[in-house]
Amino acid sequence: MGADKKPVIQVRNLHKVYSIGKNKVHALNGVSLDIYEGEFCAIVGTSGSGKSTMLNMLAGLEKPTKGQVVINGEHIETMNENQLVKFRRDHVGFIFQSFNLLQTMTAQENVALPLVFRGEDKKVRLKKAGDLLDLVGLPEHKKHKPNEMSGGQQQRVGVARALVVDPEIIFADEPTGNLDSNTSRDIMNMMQKVVREQKKTLVMVTHDNHLASFADRIFHIIDGKIVKIEDNRQGENEE
Amino acid sequence: MRFIDLLRMSVSNLWRRKLRTFLTVLGVIIGTASIVVMISLGLGLSKSTMEQIEQSGGLTTITVREGGGVSYSSGSVAVAVDSSSSDENSGKITDETAEKIMAIPHVEIASPVLSLYPILKCGAYEGNISVRAMTTEALKAMDIPLAEGASLPLDEENLQFLYGNQIITNFYNAKTNEYYWDTGVLPDIDLTNDPVFFIMDSDAYWNAKYGGTDENGNPVAQPKKYMYESTGLVAGTAEEYNEFSWEAYCNIEALKTQLKRIFKNSKIPNQPTRSNGKPYKEWYYEEMYVKVDEMENVTEVQQQISDMGYYAYSNAEWVEQMEGQYAMVQAVLGGIGAVSLFVAAIGIANTMMMSIYERTKEIGIMKVLGCSLGRIRDLFLMEAGFIGLSGGVVGLILSYGISALINTLLSESYYSSISYIPLWLSGVALVFAVLIGMLAGLMPALRAMRLSALSALRNE
Repeated sequence: MGADKKPVIQVRNLHKVYSIGKNKVHALNGVSLDIYEGEFCAIVGTSGSGKSTMLNMLAGLEKPTKGQVVINGEHIETMNENQLVKFRRDHVGFIFQSFNLLQTMTAQENVALPLVFRGEDKKVRLKKAGDLLDLVGLPEHKKHKPNEMSGGQQQRVGVARALVVDPEIIFADEPTGNLDSNTSRDIMNMMQKVVREQKKTLVMVTHDNHLASFADRIFHIIDGKIVKIEDNRQGENEE
Repeated sequence: MRFIDLLRMSVSNLWRRKLRTFLTVLGVIIGTASIVVMISLGLGLSKSTMEQIEQSGGLTTITVREGGGVSYSSGSVAVAVDSSSSDENSGKITDETAEKIMAIPHVEIASPVLSLYPILKCGAYEGNISVRAMTTEALKAMDIPLAEGASLPLDEENLQFLYGNQIITNFYNAKTNEYYWDTGVLPDIDLTNDPVFFIMDSDAYWNAKYGGTDENGNPVAQPKKYMYESTGLVAGTAEEYNEFSWEAYCNIEALKTQLKRIFKNSKIPNQPTRSNGKPYKEWYYEEMYVKVDEMENVTEVQQQISDMGYYAYSNAEWVEQMEGQYAMVQAVLGGIGAVSLFVAAIGIANTMMMSIYERTKEIGIMKVLGCSLGRIRDLFLMEAGFIGLSGGVVGLILSYGISALINTLLSESYYSSISYIPLWLSGVALVFAVLIGMLAGLMPALRAMRLSALSALRNE
């Protein structure tokens, strides 16, 4: 399994060292992994395990101390900030724990925001944003501001925003961290469904093993090292 | 990212915090208005001075005096004729000079000025006056303001006089020897309609009166009196000065004919004589009035006349000097105004700084979502520029208001306008306000650009 697929993300021997005062903290200690096209992967670990650092580095938000991150054949660890911005704009969607919607904009405008940076025409981008809000189940809330919506609704907007640029990869950082369990399940189901339908690669970071079980593959990370890789699909197939 | 979206976003960001934006803009409004109003005062001052000079035809006229190549230090004081000078060719002004000067390109009029200082008698009053005789064209060209019913003495046959409006104060009561300045009462005479008698040879008059003798020892006979027509007065009361107030004007041809008839072969007053006391055949003039077609040709023509050995004087140098002085005044006034705009710029910088702290998270989100660094910088620069622009526009409107107010309230002086805002000043003020805004916003904008996306996101 996986050998016939092309890896979208290749991580090789990734190290990240933080200097806190005189102490050096190894947040990541030689991580290597491959993530394939169309996969839903979860990176699971406790707080302080290095899972968020891992995600930041995959998304080019942080520079690794050592090692390689290759996405779509491009080495993102060598890019400068402008190249990274352009890379994210063209290939990557983000879903945040705290939603990170702009409070001054409506749901539709928030979803359309990444397209603004791409220079798309206003009509086109609002149309796309509207379609995606329909898809994530918020056809009634297009004109609502974030503070007029529940957490679950806001995160749906967040998912729509991640999808709007039609990215190859979506990164999700504790996407349900601020939601109750029922809403979390709804969001996870929705994300799973959308990702499968649209054949996106989704990389999710969470501390919750239950949520991780929605994923196809689960990377367990402890103290900056991958200790176990679970493959849910094989399990499903076998059953 | 499209420019229109950038524009939309920056305007909506400013609109979000209306009060703060308004207060910051208010600073720019006051700054712009103070600069513009200050400079407009300086400009108004120089403009009304220029207008005054222009009204008197002073910008295109050159006064030529006999010079012998020597420049006199001041042109406004009549230089006495050195009648004993033996060098006949050096710098004397004759009719030939007028022809030569007429031949210079750009010269429109070159009129000799024949000066005469006769004594006038009118009723019980006597007065010493100064007469300037000029050509018909020159009289027309000088734009002499005329009182009602008056006309220029253009008749080249019959001698006529136009009297300056303040000449009457030069008359004194021959019996009491009291001047207008002593009594404060204007002489009860009308120079236009009363018979006025001219004594052309004032030396002879005084000699006759006080028992003087001529070179042969004979008592001097009382000179004859002549009566001439008047064409009226220069406009204005006896208290109102203009540059034609103190002289009487007449036609030079008529005066020459008349003088020749009166003095025949003897010496004409105010004309030089040969060393043997005989008069010359030609006329000599103290002064010549030259009019040039355009202001920018004045200096050139003036130089050529100087090169011919005359002393030439025009307002050009003076105007240049004045312009330099007014530029200084404007710079000082503008500098005072600039202080308040500088304070406004600090306000803009402060506002933008605050805005960045408030919007740190937003900036982070934008970066993560793919907004390029340059565009983030542009966004903040544009917001700052907008503050500058709106402050500039409103400040400019305010300036026009203040300027109009100053001009209506203080219009009683002879300045045409105290505050004057030319179009270029409006343009410069706007551009300046925007530039100041952007300059003030530059540091905050660069700071926003350099914010780390990650730490911005963590900022809750």
